[in-house]
Amino acid sequence: MALIRFAPHFNPIEALLSLQQELDRAFASPLQGFDLGLSGRGVFPPTNVFSDQEGEVVRMEVPGVAPETLAIESQGRTLTISGKRETSPPEGASFHRHERGSGEFSRSLQLSADLDLTKAEATCKHGMLTVRIPKKEEAKPRQIEIKAA
Amino acid sequence: MTDKELTTHKKQELTGNELTRPGRTYVPDVDIYETTDSLWLRADMPGVEEQSIEINVKDGVLSIEGQVEVKDYENLMPVYTEYNVGNYSRRFTLANTIDADRIRARMQNGVLELELPKAEQAKPRRIAISAQ
Repeated sequence: MALIRFAPHFNPIEALLSLQQELDRAFASPLQGFDLGLSGRGVFPPTNVFSDQEGEVVRMEVPGVAPETLAIESQGRTLTISGKRETSPPEGASFHRHERGSGEFSRSLQLSADLDLTKAEATCKHGMLTVRIPKKEEAKPRQIEIKAA
Repeated sequence: MTDKELTTHKKQELTGNELTRPGRTYVPDVDIYETTDSLWLRADMPGVEEQSIEINVKDGVLSIEGQVEVKDYENLMPVYTEYNVGNYSRRFTLANTIDADRIRARMQNGVLELELPKAEQAKPRRIAISAQ
């Protein structure tokens, strides 16, 4: 697996292609030894986890979920996201097609002990929830000086 | 958990008519329902901003397209993945009872909502029975 990098001059088409390729590689990678904890695949919301130098980034697809109805909790190494998705039509309407599920959800992720969940920050826009969890100070990369003998 | 727990299914990739742009495109999940005056369409397009949506009606075919925002992904390394990211596209054939000029759209929390007003002649009318 590698870092997702876009060309120096941002080109949306190329950027999307390289992102899709990196995610494909991650699907196929034997490095999937990520400990999900209590819930597995197929549970709403679909979840991707990324890492960078600062820590980890959890991204979930939550279309149709109002940000104020989301609850994000942390306990020890466990991050729990719960909420409710309503897709019911107004009264008196009849469905032609109903593909969007509704109901309550709750999903827990077990995160690495290196991360500081007390400093986690979450944003939710355009139906995408992003939770950024920084590394603990002692887990951050550090330059070690060489002393002259 | 309560009575109904939400599950998710794999995103469906758009196949068939191939696009000129490279990369994968997904078919958004939609709800379509009807009220007395309009047909309503709601499509799940997480990660798509308002200005990246294109809605067209041509020859009775409604097409919705959304370009996903990918800038936020730069310099991240995937460690665990359940879904891929891609643009959204879907087409519907409209009955000629829709007044295409009055279609309205809005985007909220990653869901596109379209109101497709019925043409006057297609609205239900109550027919009075005259007493003899």
